[in-house]
Amino acid sequence: MEHDPAVIAGVCLVAEKAIMRAVDLSVGTRNQLQRLHPLTVGVNCSSPSVDMYLTIDAEGAVSVASYREEAATVSLAGSWKDFVGVAAADDPASALINGNIQISGDTAPLLRLQTVLADLDIDWEAPLTEALGSVAGHQLANVIRAFTRTSKSTHQRLKRQLSEFILEEGRLSPPQAEQNAFFSAVDDLVLRVDRADSRLKRIKKRLAGLSG
Amino acid sequence: MSTQDNTTDDTTDFGFERVKKEEKAGRVREVFDSVASQYDLMNDLMSGGLHRLWKRFTIELSSVRPGQTVLDIAGGTGDLAAKFSNLVGKDGNVILSDINAAMLSVGRDRLIDKGALNNISVVQADAQFLPFEDNSIDCITIAFGLRNVTDKAKALASMNRVLKPGGRLLVLEFSKPVSPLLSKIYDAYSFSALPAMGKIIANDADSYRYLAESIRKHPDQETLLEMVEDAGFVDCRYHNMTGGIVAVHRGIKG
Ligand SMILES: C[S@@+](CC[C@H](N)C(=O)[O-])C[C@H]1O[C@@H](n2cnc3c(N)ncnc32)[C@H](O)[C@@H]1O
Repeated sequence: MEHDPAVIAGVCLVAEKAIMRAVDLSVGTRNQLQRLHPLTVGVNCSSPSVDMYLTIDAEGAVSVASYREEAATVSLAGSWKDFVGVAAADDPASALINGNIQISGDTAPLLRLQTVLADLDIDWEAPLTEALGSVAGHQLANVIRAFTRTSKSTHQRLKRQLSEFILEEGRLSPPQAEQNAFFSAVDDLVLRVDRADSRLKRIKKRLAGLSG
Repeated sequence: MSTQDNTTDDTTDFGFERVKKEEKAGRVREVFDSVASQYDLMNDLMSGGLHRLWKRFTIELSSVRPGQTVLDIAGGTGDLAAKFSNLVGKDGNVILSDINAAMLSVGRDRLIDKGALNNISVVQADAQFLPFEDNSIDCITIAFGLRNVTDKAKALASMNRVLKPGGRLLVLEFSKPVSPLLSKIYDAYSFSALPAMGKIIANDADSYRYLAESIRKHPDQETLLEMVEDAGFVDCRYHNMTGGIVAVHRGIKG
């Protein structure tokens, strides 16, 4: 299926703005990215067929494009489902290496990039409203949020079923498995609180900017 | 609609009117003199911001690299030139050119505000008679400009002359919507909503009526593709955007 280049250009624009906003809010990330230059990661998605290229320039700025003639440093090819699976995985790096996605080229900088991006708190709403206006942008951000939330909870349900299976069938000692589940839930909570905290700080900063 | 470039006699299109060939440039100039100051705002409103995405894809297709020389013809208020300025970097060169001094002066101010003038020069020029050396430019863009040019074949030949061998031409222009329904909606929009918006915002319905009419009179995708090939370009192709409302044509100088 052929896609309208203007639509894909819009997706690239929003992704680029969202990433760069998060980069600019996070201390030190620019320098980390700069060290990865020159790097282009090609994402070649089949069904639906969409290509995207994420490039890091000499200043550590990230750009996202839908068309590129020069060869990428590393290319990932797979279906849309494969990519969503990786994005929703607890450990995207290992999901990427062990999943169905075909990787060609130099993987070392890709894994370094993944760890830099994984630390970012990317907020899709602001660039979406900027690109599409407040009504459509907010709606679309809600859809993305709902989508990521559903896929996360599906994923968690799967994990629970899996650990129950291990518990019953694998004859692991129950207290150990329960402890692990508890600790990872606590870790998760700490992460969420951190994120909420940084979001709150950002909103406060914006409010201060508005009133000042 | 397979509109050929109707310039065989001594008259040519000015929107839906016929005017003497030598009058067209002057009439087009009046239109852009009158819209220059409100041009960017109108662009956003008229296209719902879509022109930014059309231009973004055009820039991707350019594959411009640091150190290259880019010429943006009919560059108006310089938004493409500003983007190219970043891409070619300090060792590269961008020429913003337009036939209209009022548009260029708005463009120059805009570029000064952005601090982007270091590698950009501004040249007033008619697309049909480009005042640049043969084989001197790596990439030429002309966005929403070709339909205003009196003799399009002459302009395309002039672009071919100044490009380096292997250099690339990109023509971004309104074209023919692929679906008849979209075509109807679009006509209704451009012939009634557009002039009305022009009247309210720029107090100038006539100029925006000309814009709508000139879009209709412009060659469709296949016709323009042939014209680009006839001008000596090879590897020619086009990409429709937003259902063919807009298309970007690409040609390489052989
Ligand atoms: C609709 S504007 C496009 C401006 C800009 N490229 C953009 O995409 O926003 C068309 C421009 O074409 C210019 N123009 C008209 N006839 C021309 C010619 N013969 N040679 C060069 N520029 C011309 C006008 O002055 C005007 O600035």
